[in-house]
Amino acid sequence: MRNLIAFLQRFRIFLVFAVLQILALSWYVTYLSFPRNQFLTTNNDIAIQILEWEHDLTKHFNLSKNNTQLQWENIYWRKRQPKFMYQLSRNKFKIDDTLYQQQYTYIPAEVINSSVSRRNNYFTLNVGTAQGIKRGMGVFCHEGVVGVIHYASEHYSLVKTVLTEDINIDVNIHMKKSDLPGLLIWDGRDPRYGMITGINNDLRIKKWSKVETRGGSGIFPKGLPVGKVSYTEPIEGQALWKVEIRLAVDYRRLQRVYVIKNIHLAEQTALEARIPNED
Amino acid sequence: MTNIYKHIIRFVIFTFLQALVFNQLNIGFGIHLMIQPLFIMLLPFELTVIPLMGVAFLMGFFIDIFSNTFGLYTSSLVLLAYLRPIVFKFYGPREGYDPLKEPTAHDMGSGWFSIVYAILLGLHAFWFFLLEIFEIGRFGFILQKTILSGAFSFLLALLMQSFILNSKQKK
Repeated sequence: MRNLIAFLQRFRIFLVFAVLQILALSWYVTYLSFPRNQFLTTNNDIAIQILEWEHDLTKHFNLSKNNTQLQWENIYWRKRQPKFMYQLSRNKFKIDDTLYQQQYTYIPAEVINSSVSRRNNYFTLNVGTAQGIKRGMGVFCHEGVVGVIHYASEHYSLVKTVLTEDINIDVNIHMKKSDLPGLLIWDGRDPRYGMITGINNDLRIKKWSKVETRGGSGIFPKGLPVGKVSYTEPIEGQALWKVEIRLAVDYRRLQRVYVIKNIHLAEQTALEARIPNED
Repeated sequence: MTNIYKHIIRFVIFTFLQALVFNQLNIGFGIHLMIQPLFIMLLPFELTVIPLMGVAFLMGFFIDIFSNTFGLYTSSLVLLAYLRPIVFKFYGPREGYDPLKEPTAHDMGSGWFSIVYAILLGLHAFWFFLLEIFEIGRFGFILQKTILSGAFSFLLALLMQSFILNSKQKK
């Protein structure tokens, strides 16, 4: 017993150090894989209040650029509205609206805290469960895909962005004859470039071919822009391409985003749960 | 007593500067400016290592909450606090440190400050990026981030030192 006390006395500093390190590291490791305690992120009241103040100050920095972007987007959609179009062939056909049904609704949101230089980058949005946000919903802006909701509190939510290690959004490389499916990942180097894994190298990929979302998991609708292929290289010893893409969104100055709510998601997951398990 | 207040005010200022200003800057090339090690460095000599680690843990905790890093800052700051007395002992004068002096470039000389702070900051940055990237295959990238961020944070620390020093001389 006395030996034990002497031992503890002697290594007391190192023991305190070890305990504090274990606390910090367990926090780090558990949070990367599963969100457990919202009070330890920006989703708590005090931190969010201070970040809102900071955002009130800094949101004007990119104001003119953001306004121009919103204006362009307005023009884009306005051009596609039927009532603003000139009707070339009258009374020949009519659009049957029951053929098309709305599948996705969108919730506008603002990014109030962001980072792009870390290994895993999370954004904080000013919408939460009160606005109908749930874990796993997709987030995009008018330029392209942003990420997936990682955690939602009542009025705020945390987005796991494209700039994280295991984001794994299913994407297509748009080709002339067919689309190549793959998974989007990020190597933590440059917020302007992403990578796609799982592309077989039996087909040649043209540089600057478009990369879009595949829409298979029901998080994103099909055809949201992700980026363009900027570089391909065969992986040694595997029948796969190493594909690097130039991301469509400039994550460094992102402010306005939309959260996607898939109305048919419950139906899709319920259906897919019926796939018989082989084990 | 005024000493304690001074350090509490510094704690608040350094935490907020790091969380709200320097963490929002995206310079590129893997440069990440860090000033929180300077606060731990400037704490008085007579503070023993266990309270030092407590203060470091608290500060890292607050910065982590503000920047969604889940313990990254906490872990690296605790490591820094643990190493500080060891490095101080190694580079200290033979008769021990003068308790009236503070570990600043002004009191201890810029040569001493540069060596000690460079070592501490380098180890801190290396641990930080090692944890953040966590891939042995990307060791070159970890080193690049450590060296670039360390160098720029060091220059920033010198700049802030001269700022604190100037405000003292005016009094």
